[in-house]
Amino acid sequence: TQSPKQEETQFDFKAYMVNKAISVNKALDDAVSLRDPLTIHEAMRYSLLAGGKRVRPMLCIAACELVGGVQSQAMPAACAVEMIHTMSLIHDDLPCMDNDDLRRGKPTNHKVFGEDVAVLAGDSLLAFAFEYIATATTGVPSSRILNAISELAKSIGAEGLVAGQVVDITSAGVSDIGLDQLEFIHVHKTAQLLEASVVLGAILGGGDNEQVEKLRKFARCIGLLFQVVDDILDVTKSSAELGKTAGKDLVAEKATYPKLMGIEKSREFAEKLNKEAKDQLSGFDSDKAAPLFALANYIAYRQN
Amino acid sequence: LPLVSTQFDLRTYWTTLRAEINQKLDEAIPVKYPQQIYEAMRYSVLAKGAKRAPPVMCVAACELFGGNRLAAFPTACALEMVHAASLIHDDLPYMDDDPSRRGQPSNHTVFGVDMAILAGDALFPLGFRHIVSATPPNLVPEPQLLRVITEIARAVGSTGMAAGQFLDLEGGPNAVEFVQQKKYGEMGECSAVCGGFLGGAGDDDIQRLRRYGRAVGVLYQVVDDILEEKMKGEERKEEEEEEEKKKGKSYVRKYGVEKAMEVAEDLRAKAKGELDGFEKYGEGVFPLYSFVDYAADRGFSVGD
Repeated sequence: TQSPKQEETQFDFKAYMVNKAISVNKALDDAVSLRDPLTIHEAMRYSLLAGGKRVRPMLCIAACELVGGVQSQAMPAACAVEMIHTMSLIHDDLPCMDNDDLRRGKPTNHKVFGEDVAVLAGDSLLAFAFEYIATATTGVPSSRILNAISELAKSIGAEGLVAGQVVDITSAGVSDIGLDQLEFIHVHKTAQLLEASVVLGAILGGGDNEQVEKLRKFARCIGLLFQVVDDILDVTKSSAELGKTAGKDLVAEKATYPKLMGIEKSREFAEKLNKEAKDQLSGFDSDKAAPLFALANYIAYRQN
Repeated sequence: LPLVSTQFDLRTYWTTLRAEINQKLDEAIPVKYPQQIYEAMRYSVLAKGAKRAPPVMCVAACELFGGNRLAAFPTACALEMVHAASLIHDDLPYMDDDPSRRGQPSNHTVFGVDMAILAGDALFPLGFRHIVSATPPNLVPEPQLLRVITEIARAVGSTGMAAGQFLDLEGGPNAVEFVQQKKYGEMGECSAVCGGFLGGAGDDDIQRLRRYGRAVGVLYQVVDDILEEKMKGEERKEEEEEEEKKKGKSYVRKYGVEKAMEVAEDLRAKAKGELDGFEKYGEGVFPLYSFVDYAADRGFSVGD
């Protein structure tokens, strides 16, 4: 991996990320207030406000602004995709699924609140994500809001996130997983929601079909890129460098890109995806495209 | 409305609608890859004994205001999808721990706890998506569809059915009333109100439908509890005690059959009282009216 390219020298990506994360955190805090029954809402807030880089909300807002929209049009949707992301993590961490005790350095939701509340908190976040887009989005015609709701629903259901989870679960311990199946898992588990984040932003910001489809392709590429880089880091970095257990995938005998195509080919694949992603941005105003451009580089060249 | 019982045949109305709803639900969840998840979803949504009370109430409320039932079918199906999702999660081992539902093994008993969680997670968004993609665009204004989605999301969420389930597990003072309202009243209210939105009802009528639907939903459950209690024989004492530990949350268990019957009569009167305000709509109110008597008397059987 090399250092980031010269394109982003004028654009301060770090400051942009920090800035957006502050706005998003504030919006999330306001959106999910403490109500009765307190425990469920505490559980929802515990995971939702636990930090995280807020990559999905940022993608949503950046895509909205790229097509000429303003942040306020995309903020409810940006919060909604983070709610969905959080609920999928809460359910994924359950003992009957991945059985994780720690998430973002804190005990997982069911460790603190119990499995029953964790399931309900996840369900509640899922439902609230839709309620929030439907009620809190302002300055956008109803038809676009409905379109966004439909996109989000598709990306997280049995054709999206859940499909990836199911194939992941059913292929655990199976030794002869092919590249097709590996890609299916990652596209559905990771890329779909990233794609929805971008597409929702583009729709709500008033993007035309062509723009929405270009950005959809951009998001698909960086979604997959994210996973390929993750797999490479898992075999090339130490646990200390990663901040999590290195080599975990190898021990768990999970299929990874380096395992299936080798480290060098995996790196080439990552380069190709990064380029393909950026190609989609070429038709847009380059200043407005800078955040997404920088984000692709950030994903490609991150070290942990 | 003395003519109701002689001129309106709820049984035929219901049976006809039920067959249509069943067929539409069947079409709305085609089996794709990965098959297991679609089978798990279909297993609960298409369960044989399902009466389809929420969809029928939704369609009847829509027709009351002159709405086309074709406008109501997708939402009617969505109500069954989200309802099934809630029930699947409610039955889980660390929730109500129910091995069976509607006379057949519950979802997790057949597909495993992990698939059951995912089936629920997939059914919620499918419901929302189905409303957007299947409602004929010329029949319902877009802002009304947003209201329908909001209503359903709120009903299943952290202040609705999820709250009811939480209080059901938690217990505490006044838990019975709260659980009845939230777990059962909420679905009735939501079904009636969604039908009203789709049929173009005004604000006052929506409020009326709200109170009507809630009363019928709770009435239905109270009568279920009474019937269940009456069916129990002495020989089942032991089994019952075991069950008591898990669910002490019915009116009957707390107040006894007689008091529960009084509550049922009050609810019947309350629901019918709300309908008096709909007399100006003529015969359209008959289905909703006879629905109340059905909930109270169970004059015939629906389903297989």
